[in-house]
Amino acid sequence: MNLIETHQLARRFGKTEAVHDVSFQVPEGEIYALLGPNGAGKTTTIQMLMNIQQPTSGIAKVLGIDSTNLTEREFQKIGYVSENLRLPEWMTLQELIDYFRPMYSTWDTSFEEALIGRFELPLDLKFKHLSRGMQMKAQLLTSLAYRPQLIVLDEPFSGLDPLTRDELIQGILELNSQEGWSVLITSHDLDEVERLSDHVGILNKGKLEVSEEIESLQNRVRNITITHTENIAEVSPPAHWIHYQRQGGVSRFFDLNYQSEASDNLYRNYFQNPAHIQAETLNLREIFVELSKTFRQPYSKKGVLK
Amino acid sequence: MIPFSIQFKGGAPLSEQIIAGIKKAIAIGQLKAGEKFPSVRQLSLELKINPNTAHKVVQALVQEGILVVTPAIGSVIANIEPSSAKKRQELLQEPVENLVIEAKRLQLPLEVIEEILRKTWNQMEKKE
Repeated sequence: MNLIETHQLARRFGKTEAVHDVSFQVPEGEIYALLGPNGAGKTTTIQMLMNIQQPTSGIAKVLGIDSTNLTEREFQKIGYVSENLRLPEWMTLQELIDYFRPMYSTWDTSFEEALIGRFELPLDLKFKHLSRGMQMKAQLLTSLAYRPQLIVLDEPFSGLDPLTRDELIQGILELNSQEGWSVLITSHDLDEVERLSDHVGILNKGKLEVSEEIESLQNRVRNITITHTENIAEVSPPAHWIHYQRQGGVSRFFDLNYQSEASDNLYRNYFQNPAHIQAETLNLREIFVELSKTFRQPYSKKGVLK
Repeated sequence: MIPFSIQFKGGAPLSEQIIAGIKKAIAIGQLKAGEKFPSVRQLSLELKINPNTAHKVVQALVQEGILVVTPAIGSVIANIEPSSAKKRQELLQEPVENLVIEAKRLQLPLEVIEEILRKTWNQMEKKE
């Protein structure tokens, strides 16, 4: 079963289309990361899923129900954490927990206590005295303690130090003994996402350019270096070879559609039995950077999108 | 705590990196035959990786005969039987081929490769 499923989901603001015909699925038991630069439409997509914004067209189903019909009953099974949410400044964590606990029939007090311990959170300080990292951990705690089936995290790591990120990730993974559990996460921190997720979607200017398993993406996108004789004629590369460059007897490019033997045969044809073919795998950040160039989007080199 | 460490580097898919790391841990004796291997949940939490990736790692190791699943204890590092020496040798064929290709590409003679092999071998023996 898919815990999230969208079909040609779109959202317009006046003349601008923030989200354009986005279709993807988050199957049960998987962690799906939605990536993209700021303004790509990640938050708008999530807010449509959470019934905070209405789609202009298309449909989103969450836990099998049209997102515009989501009620209290479904939100009992959804944990939603967002960098845009603010905790009431005048409250303490203890007060917030006491307020939420009776609202959820599945609230697990021993899990709540374990998370308080893991996150090292003070119970009796008002939120206005807590750091951003502490507040994110408090938000995650009150969204995980009722063991939701679906966890939706909108930029949970942004602006947090590495230690706090690690704690958040472990908190999320603590839930993993639970059956039928899924996570949708948006982030622009690619290294964290690579370890946490199995599926990745890349949004660019409202369009979903990629939606697939990370390992399949890593198998398909390769950094190719071919050593051949200097006197072969100029090659006109097929469309799925990007950034093709040649210097004398060495050609380099990124193959977006690498298939071990079939590709090797193709290269042998193109480069007239080259002396050496090297097809290196790339990490998610490198793949993202190369793909982004094909979308003509700005990026920075540290794996953090601008 | 899990009784071995994995260095994550860019490039190869995560599950492959972890499998290679575990094989290395066995080779240098951080993990010994008969010892209990961490559960999927433990692997996921400790390495901070997706539970499905952790599951894939354990499955692959079971399939390769490196782990044995026993109902009462969970998974255990397998005893590699002496009779399978030939089979184990076959497993080396591919990495060795890659090594030879790289060596030729870098134009390094066999003697240098032998020297590097010996050095690396001795380093790992010391750690044991």
